[in-house]
Amino acid sequence: MRISYEWLGDFVDLDGITPKDAADILTRQGVEVESLTMVDLSQIVIGKVLEQVKHPKSRNDLWVHQVDIGSRVQQIIAGAPNAIPGALVPVALPGTTVPNGRLVKDLNIAGYRASGMLCSAAELMLGEDHSGILILDRGTPGQPLSSVIPSQAIMEAEVTSNRPDCMGHLGIARELAAGLDRPLKRDFMPAFTGTAEPPGRDLVNVSIEDPDLCSRYIGGVIKGVKVGRSPDWIQRRLRAAGVRPINNIVDITNYVLLEYAQPLHAFDLEKLEGPAIEVRRAREKERLLGLDGVVRELTPDMLVIADARRPVALAGVIGGEDTAVTNLTKDVLLESATFSGPSVRQTSRALGLRTEASARFERALPPELALAGARRAASLIAELAGGAVHRDWADVYPRPQEPVRVNLRPALIDHVLGTHVPLEESESILRRLNFHVKVMGDGEWDVLPPVFRLDVTIPEDLVEEVGRVYGYDRVPPTLPGRRHETWTPLSPSVDRRLDDVREVLAGAGFTETWNPALVSGARLEELRIAARAMPVSNALSDEMDTLRTSLLPSLVDAVALNRDRGRIDVRVYEIAAAFLARVGEKNAQPEEPLRVAAVISAAASAEAGAETLRALKSVLDGCVAALSAPTCTYQRAAAQLFHPGRCAAVVLDGRQLGYLGELHPTVTAGARLEGRLVAFEIDVEPVLAASRIPRAQPLPRFPAVERDLAVVVEDIVAAGALLLAIKESGGELLEHARAFDEYRGAQVGEGHKSIAFTLTFRSPERTLTDAEVDKVMSEIRRGLEKRHRAGFRE
Amino acid sequence: MSDSDASALTSRALAAIGQAQTEGELGRIEVEYLGRKSGHVSRLLSNIGQLPAAEKAALGKAANETKRFIEAALAARRAELDASRLADLAETEAIDVTFPGPPLGRGHIHVLTQIRRQIETVLESLGYQVELGPEVETEWYNFEALNLTAGHPARESWDSFYFSPDLLLRAHTSPVQIRAMQSIKDPPIYIITPGRVYRRDPPEATRLPYFSQVEGLAVDNGLTVGDMKGTLLYMIQSLYGRERKVRIRPSYFPFTEPSFEFDVSCGICGGVGCKSCRHKGWLEVGGCGMVHPQVLRNGGIDPTQWNGYAWGFGIERMAMLKHDVDDIRLFYEPDLRFLEQF
Ligand SMILES: [Zn+2]
Repeated sequence: MRISYEWLGDFVDLDGITPKDAADILTRQGVEVESLTMVDLSQIVIGKVLEQVKHPKSRNDLWVHQVDIGSRVQQIIAGAPNAIPGALVPVALPGTTVPNGRLVKDLNIAGYRASGMLCSAAELMLGEDHSGILILDRGTPGQPLSSVIPSQAIMEAEVTSNRPDCMGHLGIARELAAGLDRPLKRDFMPAFTGTAEPPGRDLVNVSIEDPDLCSRYIGGVIKGVKVGRSPDWIQRRLRAAGVRPINNIVDITNYVLLEYAQPLHAFDLEKLEGPAIEVRRAREKERLLGLDGVVRELTPDMLVIADARRPVALAGVIGGEDTAVTNLTKDVLLESATFSGPSVRQTSRALGLRTEASARFERALPPELALAGARRAASLIAELAGGAVHRDWADVYPRPQEPVRVNLRPALIDHVLGTHVPLEESESILRRLNFHVKVMGDGEWDVLPPVFRLDVTIPEDLVEEVGRVYGYDRVPPTLPGRRHETWTPLSPSVDRRLDDVREVLAGAGFTETWNPALVSGARLEELRIAARAMPVSNALSDEMDTLRTSLLPSLVDAVALNRDRGRIDVRVYEIAAAFLARVGEKNAQPEEPLRVAAVISAAASAEAGAETLRALKSVLDGCVAALSAPTCTYQRAAAQLFHPGRCAAVVLDGRQLGYLGELHPTVTAGARLEGRLVAFEIDVEPVLAASRIPRAQPLPRFPAVERDLAVVVEDIVAAGALLLAIKESGGELLEHARAFDEYRGAQVGEGHKSIAFTLTFRSPERTLTDAEVDKVMSEIRRGLEKRHRAGFRE
Repeated sequence: MSDSDASALTSRALAAIGQAQTEGELGRIEVEYLGRKSGHVSRLLSNIGQLPAAEKAALGKAANETKRFIEAALAARRAELDASRLADLAETEAIDVTFPGPPLGRGHIHVLTQIRRQIETVLESLGYQVELGPEVETEWYNFEALNLTAGHPARESWDSFYFSPDLLLRAHTSPVQIRAMQSIKDPPIYIITPGRVYRRDPPEATRLPYFSQVEGLAVDNGLTVGDMKGTLLYMIQSLYGRERKVRIRPSYFPFTEPSFEFDVSCGICGGVGCKSCRHKGWLEVGGCGMVHPQVLRNGGIDPTQWNGYAWGFGIERMAMLKHDVDDIRLFYEPDLRFLEQF
């Protein structure tokens, strides 16, 4: 909302208060002033045009003016033709900087000297209009422009959605008056009423079809107006607030909107069929030509104002062109109504049309405001456009606004704020904000909020009113004192526990990424991992229309992105939830397993892929070990995204956590990547659940014996199975077994391979003899022969 | 064999030792004179068995003395040689110590994780417990329980992604506050709720449709606006330094009453106003307020017995303030050139 500092002066004495002071007070009280623009008009002088001739030589349309600036006559050239002889205009002399930042210089244009500049409203920052020179309606040549137009300060303020009353200058001024403890010069409800006969309500028939969508409709009749230009001060203030002046009637409705925050509309009464006003839902296929020249097709969920025949306005959003006030208009129907916020918001959104009116109705205006706005507008019309305002307007008000009373124990103020506010001060603040306070016998306060403050309903709301004017900077910061016998002992958060995993991954060269959970559903389909995906029904784009079911595609993209930027070796990981819809339960929240996933790039050869896979397996084992969980086992498996021959299921205590393996060549190729990618993705919650506090083991007191064993088996026998068999036959003396080499070739024969293991033996009680170890070794050999038809190489 | 033999042997050995320049030479000399079988000293004694007892003793003594002399001379010469070798190290073993080391290849922890960790640590030190909840939420937990009923004008700011009319991506972590109140039941409750949240705003340099928040909630007897202010000040000063100030400014949220925005004094200009704070001296960080009685009721807490305060802010915003990041999109674009800066 744009606020003119000068306008606020109509309602509150701003003596000694600079625009900056005012902005600070408003911000501290809850109306945040985002920016403050100062416009100094004291350097611009008033000139009177004596003569205007077309520039004889210039190819562009230029006019040469002789302008009386009091002490002398200046020759000034301008591109707009509207500064005709006799006009009073703003003149910027050479050496002056115009408010929009332009420095004026002495110029020579095609042989004619130009000593200064005639200014438009836009150049003076008095509005957006730059189509012509600003013509003044009064002033003395040679005097500073600030003698007729006060220097301006425009504040851009953010008004919270609970304060529609602050969407107008009167509401803002009330805030300042309360903050400054100065009186507000204007009563909320103007006393003005019409006197012309017959009663207005007999001149137009108003009905409301759906009171849920319109709680009040006032239609005031003013006959015999003279439509024309509004006075300068109105035009200037409209421009300052960003509204284009049109004619005096329309300008007054906009002026009152900017003053009271009550949107108004003026119809040409003669153009209304009936004349009648029906507030109803639009019918199928009805159309409306708006004031903006756009024809819109309406739908039955939109509320319209119709005459006896057709819609003439879209309630609370925009008026219709056919019934608008024009220069020929003589009789006016002034509409001041209260439309439902959600309904106006819905219509405005559906049509993509946000107006000054809709922005206010959306916040739910109090019906009492409609009368205040109507009276203020009617009095201005009577004053500035003539016309007879009829008495007793049509006022359909099916659900009168109920007064809300709030009981306040004043001690609550101190209890909530945590500081002592004297009772008199609290009471004074509430009164300054137009609340009525009645002190009851028991010390409780019976508080009646003003009619324009529908947002105040509970005692805490009153605490806020007092607090924000008292000043929250006066509340000392404290920490809560906890004086209870109960508390919750601290347990480390999941994310902090996972820092152990992050340490392992960082040590192994992996960098953590955070990727969006919303991804392309089409991509998931293509990768065949969309079976349990959840599509968003109102996505912003195809790229973000579905929740991811796996973290891996984002990590593949991360490798691709960094490859594009010149990295060859890329190691990335992410810790985040995947989202899996619950099968057969349509409206249920999905499973959100927390996962750790990592991807590492490898060279293109099959060996490089295999080697990298083993390296990544160590990283994964390291992560699990860092969480003090039991070691995982791996089983050959098939899974989407993974290479069919190079994928293992990761199993912990019999429960499958996820997969480790090389990514499928099509996944890699799909991301336009060369080489191979190796990855894992596991559910991490079961690992956390399996975590145990490590118990110290006594250090070995006797030496270990190491033996190597080369086992020859058929190709299909997995190293994991051999290790299992070794451990089973090894008994208690086998401390550790590790595979360190794999060989295929002539020496072991077709369809076979040799795997070499290092076995470590140790007893906690004695030094083992060769004979003892030999005995266990032969047990192990026998076990391998029996289970896997193994042979042995020396 | 006689004393003079022994002393001649001693002087020969001492002369050889004195001339030796390396440990190798000393080693050879040691073997030559002191070797167990064929060393000169051993050979002195080779015929000792045939000698009379008195001579035996004298010869044994002389041989032992000779051995001690030679050993002492060897040790002394070794010490000399060592000292001179160590004295020359600066020349003999000098390398170019300015030559850079090979890359460590360490991975980096995401800057948002680091910030989240710092925030959690600071608030845990005040006794707040981390609580987590689902990212796909129901309409009730995300909106209704927080006084954000359908059609509420404030709903504009929480435009959300829906899966069905009742199921959506949470627009804030506040639903976790409701869930925590329901599950903990008995105050005092001091929790923080970090996590990812979603709003239907097109991506741009200052906002994304997905981001992360840390919200906090305290429910106890007699909590005040001052307590909330102190908690925020403690947090901000712990994260950014004790010269920082916190300002609370009245605002409006349907789930708190009174409601505030909280600002932190600009770290660049110290609060007097500069370009990076848009000449305000303050940087907007988040929202906060005293929990609305109806929200407590929705969480199963009796507002006549307990009250509370709550706050929320974006982790990205905190990271941007701390590390001068000017585009929020960088956090979610996994570019190692960015991620490795932290
Ligand atoms: Zn600054």
